[in-house]
Amino acid sequence: MFNKMYKALSRIAFPGGAIKLLCILLGGFFIISLTGCKEHFNGMLDPKGLIAFQERKLFFDTLALMLIVVIPVIIMSFAFVYHYQISHRTRDYKPNWSHSYLLESIWWAIPCVIILVLAVMTWKKTHELEPSLKLSGYGEKPFLVQAIALPWKWLFIYPEQHIATVNYLEIPVGREVEYSLTTDNVPMSGFFIPQLGSQIYTMAGMRTRLHLVANEVGIYEGLNTQFNGDGFSDMHFEVHVVEPSDMQKWVDEVKKSPNSLSDSSYEELLIPSDGDKPKLFGKVTSNIFDNVIHTYMSSMGPTHPRENQLKLHKV
Amino acid sequence: MHNQAAIVDEHHHHDSDATDVFGFWLYILTDCILFGTLFSTFLVLNYPGSPGPILKNYSNLHDILIETFLLLASNFTFCLASLNLYKDKLCKVQLWLVLTFLFGAGFVFMEVSEFIHMAHEGFRWDVSGQISAFFTLVGTHGLHVSFGLLWILVMIIQLPLLKITAITKRRMTYLGLFWNFLDIVWIFVFTIVYLMGAM
Amino acid sequence: MLQNLIFGKLTIEAIPYHVPIIMGAAAFMGIALLGVLFLITFYRKWGYIWNDWVVSVDHKKIGIMYMILAFVMLLRGFSDVVLMRSQQALAAGSHLGYLPPEHYDQIFTAHGVIMIFFVAMPFMFGLLNIAVPLQIGARDVAYPYLNSISFWLTFVGAMLCNISLVVGSFAATGWLAYPPLSELYYSPDVGVDYYIWSLQIAGVGTLLAGINFIATIMKMRCKGMTLMKMPIFVWSALCAMILVALAFPVLTVTLGMLSLDRLLDMHFFTDFSGGSPLMYINLIWVWGHPEVYILILPAFGVFSEVVATFSHKKLFGYTTMVWAIVIITFLSFIVWLHHFFTMGAGADVNAFFGITTMIIAIPTGVKVFNWLFTMYKGRINMATPMLWVIAFFTTFAIGGMTGVMMSVPPVDFQVHNSLFLIAHFHNVIIGGVLFGYFAGIIYWFPKAFGFSLDEKWGKRSFYLWVVGFYLAFMPLYVLGLDGFARRVNHYENVLYQPYLIAAALGALLIMLGIACQLIQLFVSIKNRRALRDKTGDPWNARTLEWSVSSPAPFYNFAVLPIATEIDQFWIDKEKHLAEGRIHPKDIHYHPIHMPKDTPIGFIIAMFAGIAGFALIWHMLIPGIIGFLGVVLSIIARTFSKDIDYYVDVETIKKIELQHYKELTNA
Repeated sequence: MFNKMYKALSRIAFPGGAIKLLCILLGGFFIISLTGCKEHFNGMLDPKGLIAFQERKLFFDTLALMLIVVIPVIIMSFAFVYHYQISHRTRDYKPNWSHSYLLESIWWAIPCVIILVLAVMTWKKTHELEPSLKLSGYGEKPFLVQAIALPWKWLFIYPEQHIATVNYLEIPVGREVEYSLTTDNVPMSGFFIPQLGSQIYTMAGMRTRLHLVANEVGIYEGLNTQFNGDGFSDMHFEVHVVEPSDMQKWVDEVKKSPNSLSDSSYEELLIPSDGDKPKLFGKVTSNIFDNVIHTYMSSMGPTHPRENQLKLHKV
Repeated sequence: MHNQAAIVDEHHHHDSDATDVFGFWLYILTDCILFGTLFSTFLVLNYPGSPGPILKNYSNLHDILIETFLLLASNFTFCLASLNLYKDKLCKVQLWLVLTFLFGAGFVFMEVSEFIHMAHEGFRWDVSGQISAFFTLVGTHGLHVSFGLLWILVMIIQLPLLKITAITKRRMTYLGLFWNFLDIVWIFVFTIVYLMGAM
Repeated sequence: MLQNLIFGKLTIEAIPYHVPIIMGAAAFMGIALLGVLFLITFYRKWGYIWNDWVVSVDHKKIGIMYMILAFVMLLRGFSDVVLMRSQQALAAGSHLGYLPPEHYDQIFTAHGVIMIFFVAMPFMFGLLNIAVPLQIGARDVAYPYLNSISFWLTFVGAMLCNISLVVGSFAATGWLAYPPLSELYYSPDVGVDYYIWSLQIAGVGTLLAGINFIATIMKMRCKGMTLMKMPIFVWSALCAMILVALAFPVLTVTLGMLSLDRLLDMHFFTDFSGGSPLMYINLIWVWGHPEVYILILPAFGVFSEVVATFSHKKLFGYTTMVWAIVIITFLSFIVWLHHFFTMGAGADVNAFFGITTMIIAIPTGVKVFNWLFTMYKGRINMATPMLWVIAFFTTFAIGGMTGVMMSVPPVDFQVHNSLFLIAHFHNVIIGGVLFGYFAGIIYWFPKAFGFSLDEKWGKRSFYLWVVGFYLAFMPLYVLGLDGFARRVNHYENVLYQPYLIAAALGALLIMLGIACQLIQLFVSIKNRRALRDKTGDPWNARTLEWSVSSPAPFYNFAVLPIATEIDQFWIDKEKHLAEGRIHPKDIHYHPIHMPKDTPIGFIIAMFAGIAGFALIWHMLIPGIIGFLGVVLSIIARTFSKDIDYYVDVETIKKIELQHYKELTNA
């Protein structure tokens, strides 16, 4: 029986058979990926915000520049090896030819030029797409959102509307949104709405800033990209991009909600939980965001500022 | 093949000395990186305005001066030990090594007392990042000095047992390099930590 | 009270007997270990193992032991792969898979730690130990005793990591253990402590080995071999070791500071009381980026050797290749921030590091072209090492390409921490490092063991690895572009599942590839007489290590060679082809000075392991014993005069005569 298995394995693994196997597998993968075409892309490939559009363009521009070098390399690697195999008995065998100023100049110069182009592009685009900078061309005052990463959910506070939400973000279409971000009672996290633009880390005791704009009405996915513990995989939030008039209606609805975000109800949010359903707070009674940052920045001594809360793990 | 021409068997001992000391210099280089990392961490965590007690209020520059003199003196006595080593005067080597040890032990004793005093006063390593960096940077230097002291003790015992040979001379060279290196690091420590902290 | 001093936090509860998967793995490991112990006892090989291997300071033996460690740990690191890929293939939509987060998080952490520290690094040191002294015409490394310490410290580090599976738990933080997650507040159990101490111990071993090889290469080259006449593999080893010497102290200090945070409540990296997690991230990547270049440079060195040898042609552009390695070495220190563009350092800083990162592509690309044109107008032998080279070109080109793409900060803002990143670094590590090391081990195996590896099973493992790799990682690029984050143990969108099933199939193929490599080993050992390398030069190669027998005599060279040209051995062969070799009776030998084997390296490492375990579990008395044991062993050794000996001329003649007979009968 072992012999039969061995023979079967040999037949597949034998070089000729391996190529067949390779084709079957790659073909199969190709077919699988075709199903993906109809799939609803969630990320940069289906951008819904200005920043994401620009990032997608930059991605493909960079890809094109790199392919200038990569494709010839791949072709040469197969062509040379195939042509100069011992069994082909080529006549032009030059065992000591190991130097050519011309060739060296070419393959130093071309990559240098490509990288130079890429470097100029990088400098320009990095400055244009810097997350903490206000977007150009959106003169109107940005819509403010404060985001706090909590164990394992996101709290969004609307400082100008005095409402708050958990794991649910509603923002107006076509208007710049300025996110101020921090963390509380959970390790460093990463705020990311792929279809709208860049991700940014959120850190305790610090404020990071992100500017995004959504150009199309819809529902998009938001997530945490920086692993921060056992509940990490559930740290998702829905992003609803709506017309400004619908935005106002929604704010008014939320204000009717009985929950209010005070220091004590905030403390309840500090308790670890995952897979939280969206929650709405009609009133925000204190400057929670700034207080959270200040708590960490001014702390001293061996005890974590949130030590009085439940520990994240049972020791 | 090349066997005919290559009837040269390198004299292992000559080359091995140069190789061995080269290796020790490499180790000193890595120790520089180690201290460099501690220094940069110290500077980052001691940014102006960081919360917590500050060093100025808990350190005594006079004591630091005395510690510096002790360490410098121990370096001087070690040099004298080395000189006598190359003159093959074992007794003198022992004498100067003992003095080196005493000065170095004095340094460590003063530093440990300083730490204990600071901790009692509330300048503890678990209060803030600033203080953690202080204790770790200065403490790592002190730990290196303590290992040096142990090494000096070992040499004091080993020299009469193994006699002054190429091998023991080499070990004294390493120890000398190590001991001088620690003195140089100390200069950076008292400048960056104590003097700049006192401004 | 005494119980506390001896056992610290360690109790019987530390063994996770209620988790079936762990207990199953432990049982499997236990049975394998017992099986090995039984076989050794049955064949009465304990004396042989102790005298010939454990106490050996011979670089060739130490190299082989590194390889064995790497391969065994590959099996453990790969079992993590099987768990992760199967979990992700199953856990779509409302299904949560079979691995709870607490367990899954340890698995991906252990996978990364084991693959980098206990597979790739030992594999690299194995190749360096086997090849470098022979290639430079030396008899051993500069510090053979230190070499033994380095190996055993690495071994102990790996064992601590293995013990964490059964006693306690491992870190659940990712392979770099970012704070504040790795601090006491968010990770109160011993997992992070296992992480810290297994890496610290192994790290000291690595640092010592780095110093050792720099001294060896700089000071022990044979007469005539200037720096610009060394084999390229030696250049790549030298630069990699310079990176080790400069980067590993940073790791030691950083992990040391994290351990102080956890042991003494310090605040280096806590997110409160003035700590700075950002500092850790900067420091760990100041180490981490050079680390990946430490891994890839020797692989590049292997490619240079293999391409030249198997094309029967001189390496194209030797000087350029050396400069390219040096430039890469230097540049690898000024790119580290590209690992955290999303931290918000500002456009100037981000753009600077992005540009320095892309500049590294230039010397790397130059090397690729030099290799291609070494093959051009050559005569290429399509043996398995060459197959790995061919796969490397395409695979590494794609991986490097995606790397340059991510070095543009705004692009990174989309794909950072996604599966795109995972696909990129596996692309370059597997396609570059692993393929290179595989080529290297097949290339140098005959020199180390005296017989070649079976070609048929080698080719089979090759195809399975390469096809498996592409199937496993190309879907991840697509998923990453779609916003799929890394380290996720379940996901809502079921449309992702087919991709992850394909990835799991790829992992399965790789597993079969590894199985073929195991079979290759068994088959080769079984057929070792037929596969015997009689000449010492089975590949018709170019460098000095092929001028001695296979395996090399324990003193390497009876008479130290003189090398006045690059590829001196090849030139000698061209000139002496008609002349034949010289009979040993016509050569005048001198006694050879060799270092004596010693158990101290092993003993120091064992005490270090005890100290490490004690630090993890806060066991005071064992900790003191371990620490004292290390210090006293080191001191005791310095009092020993019995550390070397001379090999007499008769022994040398006998060994050389044996090789000569085999050579002329071949």
